[in-house]
This record gives sequence, structure tokens and C-alpha cells, in this order.
Amino acid sequence: MNHAWRLPPLWVVLVAVVLIVCAEVGGASMVRFRIELTRWARGAMLAHPGVHGLVGVRDVDERVLDEALVKFDAALRLFHLHAEGMGLVILATTTVAATLARARRSREAIIALLTVGGAGYPLGYLLWSWLIPYHGIERGKAIAEWLIWIPFGGATIVALWWLAGLVVLRLVQR
Amino acid sequence: MIVLGETGGAVMSQGKVPTERWAAARVAANAAAHGFSGSSEYDDAVRDRAVYSVEAGLSFFHTHAEGLGLILFFMSTIVASAVPWRRARAALYVLLGLGSLFPLGYLVYGVAVLELGRDAGIELAEIWILTPLGSAMIAGLIGLAVTLAVRSRRA
Repeated sequence: MNHAWRLPPLWVVLVAVVLIVCAEVGGASMVRFRIELTRWARGAMLAHPGVHGLVGVRDVDERVLDEALVKFDAALRLFHLHAEGMGLVILATTTVAATLARARRSREAIIALLTVGGAGYPLGYLLWSWLIPYHGIERGKAIAEWLIWIPFGGATIVALWWLAGLVVLRLVQR
Repeated sequence: MIVLGETGGAVMSQGKVPTERWAAARVAANAAAHGFSGSSEYDDAVRDRAVYSVEAGLSFFHTHAEGLGLILFFMSTIVASAVPWRRARAALYVLLGLGSLFPLGYLVYGVAVLELGRDAGIELAEIWILTPLGSAMIAGLIGLAVTLAVRSRRA
């Protein structure tokens, strides 16, 4: 038996590397353009007062805006964190799949699900941060959940359990 | 460990309300362990703190399981590739493998807080799970670093 890890397809490595690059750039941009991003989000929120329940009383509105801006910042941070992590998860898990999944179709399906799910999931945080100024915290979260987190996160979880099952099967067959 | 971490993250997000409800019910069922006084204001604060600890435990489990799954994957690959001595390799696999179970301590942390009270639960998880498994991971990583240093001096 060959004990070396097998490389996943090159497009998978490319997706993982690009995702990590996006995470790095996202983290750097968060720091470099912090003031500009906050100013943009605040401006967009003030342009949609009904969405955020702004009443025109400074004391009340400032508290609401502050809370939304904290969530906006948190969503950007979570994008940075998850994109870094999922890039590595894609590399590690598709390497395991490329090495241990024998049947070609299941190997390809697992690798595709892991890559698409893993690369898509962090984008949900980016979408959420963009949606917060226009749709509010909770509605923005619900949209990101249904459009990105549930389908892409679901794909990753299904693929990981599938892969875990295959690894257990390989251990039993030894 | 990675799949458990991912699933834990999904439970945290999609099952937030049922988890909070279950945690609050377990706190109520173990009122004595949580030192309930009968004063609703005080008891509510104690319950909120315990439920928050459970959520923190789940959150730590999610992040640590993802991270340690990857650390185990990459470190054990280095052990397989760069440690030539069979016994040293086996010892490092055992230490790293045990250490990678560290995140399970946070699940124990969450359940123990509810069943034994906040302080006793945290103490149990820290002393019996998190400290020994975390130490195993640290020992494995130090062992690997020492082995690599020895090899590079000989090369």
C-alpha cells in the first residue's frame, strides 16, 4: 500500500489558495479601510432609517447605529476568520478524500462538495455585512443564512460525514 | 474532529433557541447545584450566566475542533515524513491523537456546568479533560520539535 498523500485536483488547490488570499486581503482591508467602511455603513444606514427603526432622536438612534456597526464589523471579522480556516479545511479534507476514497464518483462528489461548500460558506459573512446597512441585522442574517450558510455549510457537513464514513470503512476493512 | 466541529457550528447557529431552552431546563432541574435562592432576580442572573457558559463551551468546541483537526492532520503528516524512529513516531502519534481530543473537553464543560453548577462544572472539565488532553498536545508538539531539531543537527 502506498502511504503517501495524494494531491487533490489542481482546481481545488487553486480555490483553497484564492480563498486564503481573499481572507488575508479581507483582514488587511478591515484594518486599512476601517474608517471608510464604518463611514459607508453608517451613511447607508442613515439612508434607510425605517429598516433600523431610527426615530430621529440622537440618543436613541446612536445606540441603534452603534449596535448595527458592531455587527457589521463582526461579520467582516467572521469572513476573515472563516475564509482562512475553510481554505485549510478544504486542503486537508480533499487530500484525505483524494487518498482514501477509492470509488471515482464518490471521490469526485466529496471533493466537489467540500470545495464548493467550503469556499462558498465564508462569503455568507461578507454578504451579511453588506446587507446589514440595507436590511438590518436580523433580516440580513436570515437572507445570508438561506442563500449561503445553509446550502454551502450543509454541503460541507454532508461531505465531511460522508468522508468520515469512508475512512471508518477503510479502517474496518484493513 | 473537523466534522464534529462543523456540526457543532451548525447546531450553535440553527439550534440556538432549543439549546438555550434545554440549558435553562437543565439549570432549573439542578437548582441546588446552581445555588438558587428563590429570589427570581438572583436566580435569573445565575441561569443566564450558566446558559451563557454553555454557549461559550459550544463556541469554543466549534473553533478548537476545526483548528485541532487541522493541526493533527498537518503535524501527523510531518511525523510520518520526518521522524525516522518507529517508537518515537508511535509515541508522537499517541500524544498528538490524544491532544486532538482536547475540544471534547468543551462539550463536557457545557454539560458539566448545567449538571454540577458553573464553578464545579468548569473545574471538572479543566482538571479532568482540558488540562490532560491539552498537555498531551503540547508534549507531542514539543517532542516533534525536539525530534526535528535533533535530525537537523545530525544532517
